[in-house]
This record gives sequence, C-alpha cells and structure tokens, in this order.
Amino acid sequence: MIQMSHIPFIITIILYFISSVWSIGYIVKPGVFDKKVAKWTMMMGFFIHSGFIVFLGLESGNIPITNVYESFVSLLWCILFVYINLDYLYKLPSLDTFLLPVVTALSIWALTFDGGNLLITVSLQNFWLIAHIIPIFVGYAAFTISFSLSIMYLTQQRQLKHKLFGSLFNKLPSLEGIDKMMWKTISFGFPLLTLGLVFGTFWVKTQNVLGEMWYLDYKVILGLATWLIYAALLHMRLIASFHGTKIACLTIAGFFLVLFTFIGTFFMGSKHAFQKVSEQTHTEVLNVQ
Amino acid sequence: MSIIVVGLNHKSAPVEVREKLAFNPNSINTALSQFSQKYQDKNAEIVILSTCNRVELYISSQDGAIKVEDVFSFLADFHKIEPNTFSPYMYHYNDDRAVNHLFFVTSSLDSMVLGESQILSQVKEAYTTAAMEEATGKILNHLFQQALNAAKIVHTRTSIGKRKVSISSVAVEFAEKIFQDFTGKIVLVVGAGEMCELLLKHLYEEGARTFIVANRTYERAEELANEYHGQAIKYELLGEYLEKADIVISSTSAPHYVIHANQVKEAIRHRRGNPMFLIDIAVPRDIEPEVANIDNVYLYNIDDLQSVVSQNIDERNREVEKCRVLIEEEVEHFMAKLEEMKIEPAITHLRNHFHTIGKEELERLKPKLKNLDNEDWEQVVYTMERAINKLLHHPAKVAKQEAKNGGGYRYVETIKKLFGIFHHTDHSQH
Repeated sequence: MIQMSHIPFIITIILYFISSVWSIGYIVKPGVFDKKVAKWTMMMGFFIHSGFIVFLGLESGNIPITNVYESFVSLLWCILFVYINLDYLYKLPSLDTFLLPVVTALSIWALTFDGGNLLITVSLQNFWLIAHIIPIFVGYAAFTISFSLSIMYLTQQRQLKHKLFGSLFNKLPSLEGIDKMMWKTISFGFPLLTLGLVFGTFWVKTQNVLGEMWYLDYKVILGLATWLIYAALLHMRLIASFHGTKIACLTIAGFFLVLFTFIGTFFMGSKHAFQKVSEQTHTEVLNVQ
Repeated sequence: MSIIVVGLNHKSAPVEVREKLAFNPNSINTALSQFSQKYQDKNAEIVILSTCNRVELYISSQDGAIKVEDVFSFLADFHKIEPNTFSPYMYHYNDDRAVNHLFFVTSSLDSMVLGESQILSQVKEAYTTAAMEEATGKILNHLFQQALNAAKIVHTRTSIGKRKVSISSVAVEFAEKIFQDFTGKIVLVVGAGEMCELLLKHLYEEGARTFIVANRTYERAEELANEYHGQAIKYELLGEYLEKADIVISSTSAPHYVIHANQVKEAIRHRRGNPMFLIDIAVPRDIEPEVANIDNVYLYNIDDLQSVVSQNIDERNREVEKCRVLIEEEVEHFMAKLEEMKIEPAITHLRNHFHTIGKEELERLKPKLKNLDNEDWEQVVYTMERAINKLLHHPAKVAKQEAKNGGGYRYVETIKKLFGIFHHTDHSQH
C-alpha cells in the first residue's frame, strides 16, 4: 500500500518520467520535444525530491535511511545531486537522455520497497554510520553516472561502426569526450567508496555492529568486490592506459555490482544492520542517544 | 529608378565564355569607374559580381534608361570581344525579378554547391568594391544590404547550409565524433595525392598539428610534410608507424591493399584500445575491409563518405522551397521600400515648392509691415514655415504609406499634376 506521505515521491517520479520522455524525444524529434521541458521537469522533480528527503528526515529525526525504501530514495537524490553539479561544471550534452530513464526506473523500483518491514537496527545518531553511508552514497551516485556514460559510449561507438548517422549520432559527443567523463566520474567515486568502506570497517570493528563474523556478511563481501572492480578499472586506465569498449563494458559490470550490493543482498538474506523488527523496537532503536 | 541584372553563370554558359567575361580585381575597378562616367547623366549605379561561376552586373538607372543592349555593348567594348560571342549565354531580369535573383544568388541557392557560404562573402566584396569606387548610390546600397540580410535570414532559419557536402568535411566531421579535439593527435597520411592534401588541410584548420606522410616517392612525401611541418617517412616503414596514428588517411594508387587487418590488429593492441580512425579514399581500396571488424577501429571508405555527402545534398535540396518562401517575403519588403524611395524626391520638391511660395509671399509682405521689429518678424516667418510643414505632414505620410503597396509613381504623377511641379529630377518615373 502506498501511503499518503509518499505522494511527493510519486510526483517526483512522474516528473523524472516526463523529463526522460522529453530528453529522448528531443533526440528523435527535436521539433516536437523541447530540451527545456526535460531540464525544468527534472529540476522540479529534484526540488520536490529534496523537500521529500527533508520531510523524511524531520519525521524520524534522523538522516533518511531508516528503512530500505528511505535509503533508496536518498541514494537517488545523491545521483541527481551529483549529476546536476557535474552538468553545471562540464556541460554534458545529452547525458540526461541516458541518465534520467535509469533514475526513473530505479525510482519506480524504490517505490516497491515502500512499507517493507526491513528496518534499521543500529543507532542513527552515530558518527561512524554517517561517515560510512554518505561517502558510499555519493560514490554510488558517481558510478551510476559513469554507467550512463558507458551506455552512451557504446551507443556512439555502435553508430560509428555501423555507420548510422542519424540525429542521435549528431547529438552525442565524441567517444574521447565521453571516455574522459567516464574516467572523471570513476576517479571521483572511487576514493569516496574507499573512504566509506574504511569507516564502515572501523565501525564494525569497534562497535561490533554485524557480529563476530562480520566479514561473511554478503554486503561486506560484495562491497569489497565492487571496490576491486573499480580499483581494477582505475588501474587499467592509469597504469596500463586502457581505453575504449572494454573499459565501457567493465564500467557497466561495475554498476550492476553496485546495484546488487545495494539492493540484491537483501534478497540473499543479508540484513546488514536492517532487521525485520516490530515498529516499537525500531522506534526504541532510533531513540537511543 | 529601375534595377536590372545582366549576367551569366555555370548553368547558362560554359567556362570558355565565362572566362572571357570575367573581371579580375583590378579590371573591376576600371570597369566600375568607366561605366559610372559613361552613364553619369542617367543616375547610373553599378555593382559587378565576378566569381569563377558567374559574372553579373547589377545596374540601377533612372527610368530604366540603361538597357540590356547597352550593357552588352559595354561588356563587348571593355573585354574587346564581339557581343554575339557571349550574348546568347546571358540572362537578364528587371526590377523585382532582378532583386529576387540577387537574393537567390546571395543566399547561395543559385550556387553549384547549394548552400555554400563563400558566395555571401563574394557578394559582400563585390558590393564593397563598388561602394569604394563610388559606383553605387541610394538604390544599390539599399539593395545589397538587404540581399546580405536576406541571406543571413535564409541561413539561420533553414538548414540549407548546415550539413557538410564535401568528402573532406564529412570525414573531418566523423573524426570529431571520435576525438574531442585534434591537438596532440597524430595523423598518418599514406599517399600524397590531391585528396589527401585536401583532407590534411581540413584537419590542419581544425587544429591537427602532427603529421606523418608516407609515399612511394619519398620526395613527394617530403614536399607535403614540409608544407604542414610534418615528418616524411619511407613507405616501407608504414607498418611501424601505424600504431602511433590516431587518424590514418590513405589514398594511394596501389592496385592492392596497403594496410592489412593483422597490422591494424597489432597496432590497436599496442594502443591499448585507444581508438583509430581510418579513412580510405583510394579506388581500388588501400585498407583491407576486415579492419572494420576490429574493436575500437573505425574504417570509412570513399562510398561511406560519398553516401553521407549525397544524403546531405538531398537534405539541402529539400530546404530550397522553404528558402524560396523566405526570399519572396524579403523581396516584397524591398520592393515596398523601393516604391517609398521613388516617391521621396517628389515629396521633397513638393515641400520646396510650398516653401518657395511661402518665402515669396513673406517678401511681398515685409515692406508693408515696416514698424515690426526683428523679433516679431521672425515669429511671422516661423509661423509661416510651421503652417506649411503642418499642411504637408499628413499627405506626405499617406503618400509614402500608399506607395509601399506599389505604384508609387502614380502618386508622384498626381502630386505633380495637382501642384504643377515640374523639375528636371522629379519626373523620375516611367
């Protein structure tokens, strides 16, 4: 059941959806679809999304990650936040066409977690938690953008290979330009992911959050795998100066691992500080000072 | 005031005729001043547009006093040729059709390569030359400014000049979809033919600076390399240099493949996936077609480029109708303005006529008002002038307005008849 309080997020999704349609439409039929509509609906969506995050935070008195749904909503907000800033800094033509549909799809998926009974079991008024979560979320956001850039790269390289010189070909930037941006987003996300993982490790070691066998937690293992795949990517790029299709494919693989680490682990039984607990226990946990 | 254009172009005349009538920068000035002097009494204005594809004379004269035959004989005299050697190839248009033609030419709808932008600067130059020589006046000044303006409108509101229509510019456009910029990129040129040189020039203009040239005759490679501050290499070393190249242009006359798939495979391995762009403009082809299947390698042959060029030409052709409508609108505006300009001298004479009468009457009055001091007399003069201006303001405004809708000369005739004005320059119309 969708609660009344989640209507703002549904409006956000609708706006992201309109933005996706318009940003794709702008490429297919530029005469009919105005790029400005895509931009402003996205901005409006982001504005409402931000308001919703604040609302969730105020409601629980904590950062809005008290359940899987809230965490997902916060991660999506981070993706948009990083994208808007990157776009402002680097002017990335047509990236929205590749990113917004991903964001819209993830948002709809996030909605299915609404009302889920996995709730956080650790105190949120904890420095380590914040130090663990925020860098990882921003890092994941950067990886999501690098994923969109990879799709863009592969699309453009396919068009160049198969000699398809349509409107999409004209509107996408050069392969080299996309490759450079991919590299920028990964090298921005990687240190943040590292930082988040280091803080997380400190936290479990010092406060015993995940129990003795914390290193067997799926999320911990997959988190490490994610770290390794991006470390490998950076190594290939920095030391071996690899470019092109292979890097793009690996970036896509990296993103799916991110997604799996973030959400998939819940289906595998790992709770990673989220438990099926009663509302009352949850409230008690949240109120621990 | 009447405008005519007399000329020939690549469609109407072969190059043997065009070259006879062509003007070089020096002879244009002489021709302009000779023509202006010859027809000074007919208020002649002239602009000569002479490019490799066309020679056109735009002339404005009073009452259409200068006829096509006059222009023919002027051209024949100037170039010292018989009029009948070129007259069958000439076209000529009057007034609105002449204006339409100029707007068409300037907007590059009459060019060999539809939508090319060079003609715009050629028209601009032709006009500036004529204006500097004082061969133009009010009419042609206005006409050419409007023509340049119309061309700008056509180019911004339609996509007539947007798509690239030459092999080399299309190739560079593709290279721009692979590489962000060409600085620091290495261009390997195989063969030193004309087509290679054209592409090289284009890439140089876009920022490429590092060139390696390989050719069967080393001297020719050196020659081309020196021209672009590049490096010439022995033809046999081609394989070794392949991995360095970001862009390869090949156009040799070799009857077999010059660059093989295994060479490129090896090169791309060394390049660690750094993309390579290969352009094969040779027939028979220089680069083994299997090269296209290698990851991160983009191979284009002459047919690929030619098909894009043809598509783009079709695209430009589709825009012509849109341009035609825009030009017709602009011609209409210009013709309305021209009608308004036609009536202006008549209005000036009408005004002078009234003021002369006023002055005569004042002079008749002055002796009768002896005891009027200077200040009061000035008031009388002022009132008289003010009354005349006020009386004329409305009819002048309406006449100008009406003239815009065509037939300005009718109003000139009416004014002349009503007020009995006869002056040597006011019977300016047909």
